[in-house]
Amino acid sequence: MSEQGLIDAESASRVGTVAATATGEVNRRDWQRWAAAVGDHNPLWFDTEYARARGYRDIICPPLFLQYAVLGVTALDGLRPDGSSGAASGSLAFPRAPRRMAGGESTTFHAPAYHRDEVEMVRTIESIVEKQGRSGRFVLVTWRTVYRNQRAELLADATTSMIARP
Amino acid sequence: MVPERASVQIFYEDVEPGDLFPALTVTVDERQLFFFSAATYNGHRIHYDKDWARTVEGYDDVIVQGPLQAALLARAVTDWIGGRGRLVEYAVQNRDIAFAGEELSFGGVVTAKRLGDNTGLVDLDIAGRRGDTVLMPGTATVALPLRGEPHGEPQDEEL
Repeated sequence: MSEQGLIDAESASRVGTVAATATGEVNRRDWQRWAAAVGDHNPLWFDTEYARARGYRDIICPPLFLQYAVLGVTALDGLRPDGSSGAASGSLAFPRAPRRMAGGESTTFHAPAYHRDEVEMVRTIESIVEKQGRSGRFVLVTWRTVYRNQRAELLADATTSMIARP
Repeated sequence: MVPERASVQIFYEDVEPGDLFPALTVTVDERQLFFFSAATYNGHRIHYDKDWARTVEGYDDVIVQGPLQAALLARAVTDWIGGRGRLVEYAVQNRDIAFAGEELSFGGVVTAKRLGDNTGLVDLDIAGRRGDTVLMPGTATVALPLRGEPHGEPQDEEL
């Protein structure tokens, strides 16, 4: 290929490595605030008696909230100009493909999380490939993210993708 | 509102491929964008700073968070499957944006069913839409209880 590839050697060398790890405590009030912001008043997230009558030991964390339980803290000085924190991607830069778009996300939920569970997230860079689309070349990055609780029980695993374009 | 829906338990035997499940219709306003950004620790200006959204990122207005679209679509699913249903797999793609004030709908259709471990697994095609435009296509698999199979859990009194 006479054209220079979009994937620099430094990024390519990171396939298979851990992009990010994070831990956090699952908190009932945090997930209930999230659920309220979604307008999601499912009693499994709010009503202990209801949840117990359906086989859970207590109210459970909404599955889609789990990803937020491990978010860290960003100082105002550490934000990007657009206000985002940009921590989750493991700082893959792609100087030859700076425009980014969220691709998709696919998650399998294995077990519920409860109030005060300690969750550990480990995100690995699964693949980085250059592709040719209708509107030109792009880089497709795929991460695999695994969430476990304090007993090392698998709660969820997710595959996430991002598209970077020149 | 939603709580009554969640109190009616649907069973594996009740669903067949081709069945639609009830769509959720939501018009997200700026308060909801703000609270969702706060609840997800999301500082991105395109969800609250109109001037930034227009002049820097080229949007006509502040935009609905992709994760809020995903959460509303999941809510449509979990409302439908009831307290003994379980979301097992959930996959969505961000295809298009939505602005505050637009009416959006979230729903889907049953595509397949099969028996799993003491539960019934049901596959769904799901989507978030604005009118006929699909903003967020996806798929989900849910586990539904079997009729007459208490499998260690208390029976629903309301049925």
